[in-house]
Amino acid sequence: MINNPKVTHEIHATPPGDLAIWVFIFAELLAFGVFFVAYAFARANNVELFNESQQHLNRTSGAINTLVLITSSYFMVRAVAAIKQGLSKPCALWIASAIGLGFVFLAIKIAEFQATFAAGISLSTNTFYMFYLSLTLFHFMHVILGMVILAAIMLKALRGGYSAENHIGVETGASYWHMVDLLWIILFPLVYVIR
Amino acid sequence: MQYQSQAVAKPYFIAAIGLFVGQILFGLIMGYQYVVGDFLFPEIPFNVARMVHTNLLIVWLLFGFMGATHYLIPEEAETELFSPKLGLITFWVFLVAGALTIVGYLMVPYATLAAMTGNDLLPTMGREFLEQPLITKVGIVIVVLTFLFNISMTVLKGRKTSISLVLLVGLWGLAIFFLFSFYNPSNLVLDKYFWWWTVHLWVEGVWELILGAMLAFVLIKVTGVDREVIEKWLYVIIAMTLITGIIGTGHHYFWIGTPEYWQWFGSVFSALEPIPFFMMTVFAFNMVNRRRREHPNKAATLWALGTGVMAFLGAGVWGFLHTLAPVNFFTHGTQITAAHGHMAFYGAYVMVNLAMISYAMPMMRGRTANSAAAQTMEMWSFWLMTVSIVFITLFLTAAGILQVWLQRMGTTPMSFMAAQDQIMVFYWLREITGFVFLLGLVLYIWSFFCKKGEAQTAA
Amino acid sequence: MSETFTKAMARNIFYGGAVFFFLLFLGLTFDTMQQLPSRDHRENITDSVVRGKHIWETRNCIGCHTLMGEGAYFAPELGNVYVRRGGPFIKAWIQSQPTGVPGRRQMPNFNLNEQELDDMVAFLKWTSEVNTNKWPPNIEG
Repeated sequence: MINNPKVTHEIHATPPGDLAIWVFIFAELLAFGVFFVAYAFARANNVELFNESQQHLNRTSGAINTLVLITSSYFMVRAVAAIKQGLSKPCALWIASAIGLGFVFLAIKIAEFQATFAAGISLSTNTFYMFYLSLTLFHFMHVILGMVILAAIMLKALRGGYSAENHIGVETGASYWHMVDLLWIILFPLVYVIR
Repeated sequence: MQYQSQAVAKPYFIAAIGLFVGQILFGLIMGYQYVVGDFLFPEIPFNVARMVHTNLLIVWLLFGFMGATHYLIPEEAETELFSPKLGLITFWVFLVAGALTIVGYLMVPYATLAAMTGNDLLPTMGREFLEQPLITKVGIVIVVLTFLFNISMTVLKGRKTSISLVLLVGLWGLAIFFLFSFYNPSNLVLDKYFWWWTVHLWVEGVWELILGAMLAFVLIKVTGVDREVIEKWLYVIIAMTLITGIIGTGHHYFWIGTPEYWQWFGSVFSALEPIPFFMMTVFAFNMVNRRRREHPNKAATLWALGTGVMAFLGAGVWGFLHTLAPVNFFTHGTQITAAHGHMAFYGAYVMVNLAMISYAMPMMRGRTANSAAAQTMEMWSFWLMTVSIVFITLFLTAAGILQVWLQRMGTTPMSFMAAQDQIMVFYWLREITGFVFLLGLVLYIWSFFCKKGEAQTAA
Repeated sequence: MSETFTKAMARNIFYGGAVFFFLLFLGLTFDTMQQLPSRDHRENITDSVVRGKHIWETRNCIGCHTLMGEGAYFAPELGNVYVRRGGPFIKAWIQSQPTGVPGRRQMPNFNLNEQELDDMVAFLKWTSEVNTNKWPPNIEG
């Protein structure tokens, strides 16, 4: 079913979803990319400080959150597959599950932030924490934005606003959500693990 | 001209050009004071000349924006202005208030002006670009709100296009962020922090929405390209502008007492600020290449293309040159900043206003385009002004690099004035180039009165 | 291809992106406001400093000088002038203006009294103590 030739052709012709979201995704990746490069530069000048501070991060919650986001991303793949067969209800359900996992991510992250702030750590503590907090908070806000976008699409899907022929909206939201996932997949090893 | 009330724009444009001349004359005075320090002292000290120079710039750009709005909104909304009379009243109030303020700067010592105009009630004066007396600031708010009321009502009763919506967002933003000019805490750091909310969020934020809307309007008119395409571009460009520009404010928060992390935020986001400007250049050229008609107004097309290129060079490239914190550490507050400021303001805001005026003025004078002779003259003025601003920027950049080298680097740095003496030659070159700019401006005005050849009325 | 690039989506990205980044900016501003007291030493802002800032503003000093690098670039940086020159020199300098040397840049005489001169110095002293991340690069400003 998924290998419907028409669908395959469409995927190869242009990136999935609205082209405008790709301009946005490109901009976002660029902003994060520059931040990642800046992180690498700052770390190169401060290896010891970065390694020492990194010890205090909660790698377990970071790892769980990686799984949560990847699973959530997979749910969006299923949502797109469902709508391509014209199944609005299952599509909405898959999106709802993806959003649900988004909440799980946020909850775990909030717990992590709470512990960090309780330890008296702020953006001005040191360069490592500046990056850690900036990058994760910045990403955190992207998760929220992604969930808002997904919620809007879910509601439209529930109202039967998409169909097998017209599902660009779902693909657009999925593309954005995959970007949020992708950013975390880079961010987690970079900030939490690599030393 | 499709709607009679569009004619309200005419006095705004005339005033804008008149004040532009004043701005350039005071620029020349300052440029001369840079090389002959006591020129016109004590009649017009440098600080007064600078205040007049920058305030005239801001006011004439605002006149240009308002004129452009009065011209394009009826055409976009497909209806007459809500109240043409209100448009004219706003014009006269703004002009008189502006003129009185300038006269105040020139006739009365600044401290006396402050005392006379109630600065002690709410001290807001004496901060760069916001030197206006309290009553002028209040006047600006009233004028802008009246103007916005008139324009918003016009849009509400007519067709709501993306161009008018973007323009309205930009203009309302302009009004809202100006309110921060009334906030002047005695803590200098706080003062500076929120001073930028007016200054940066104007020129690198909401003004760019106004610029985008004006440019999109002119491009639709002169190229005949489908509105859908142009408006899509407009949204993408201004989205990029705000995505990069809002946090980009951070490039002003490196050395004014604000936390160190702004060096990262400011550098990263403002490094991306050239992108929307680059897109604007690509956009302008793309649209002109895909044009569906040959509009007889070649001059307006030239100004529109020039806006894209010069805004990218001035705001994008020259901004990027000194926006990264490690570079800015050395260049902050030197002639590099002045170089960037001159080309960015000319490239973005001066040129977009002139593009709009170039397109709209012939229409308001009952023709589609000026005669070929007048247009040739106007295009000469385009090249004279543009090339001289490029050279002014290059000379100031050279002066800035040398200044940084002499005064900020090495183990035995020179004092400020000693370094200034060393770079005098560039100030001379800048001043001479300034006269070429003036020549271009005179030619520009002359082109309005060129009687040679026949004006074109066919669409 | 152009059907998959809709104006509605471009518009949503504009509004969404603007709100998103403005919220982020507000968040950073909030954090900055928490950090500032330890950097600007506001506990040292005496009445004299407040009056000094007022004099600074009403004489339009920013029209020629820079203060922490912001202002005009016609005359020296004054954010660190207290460290560079010291209080007595600043007072004497302001009083002795204009120099009247032909062809040199001139500063007006503002006829400040002793109290006003002291206020001016107090303001410049406080300013020089703000944590500016080690800017300017050297004493010359």
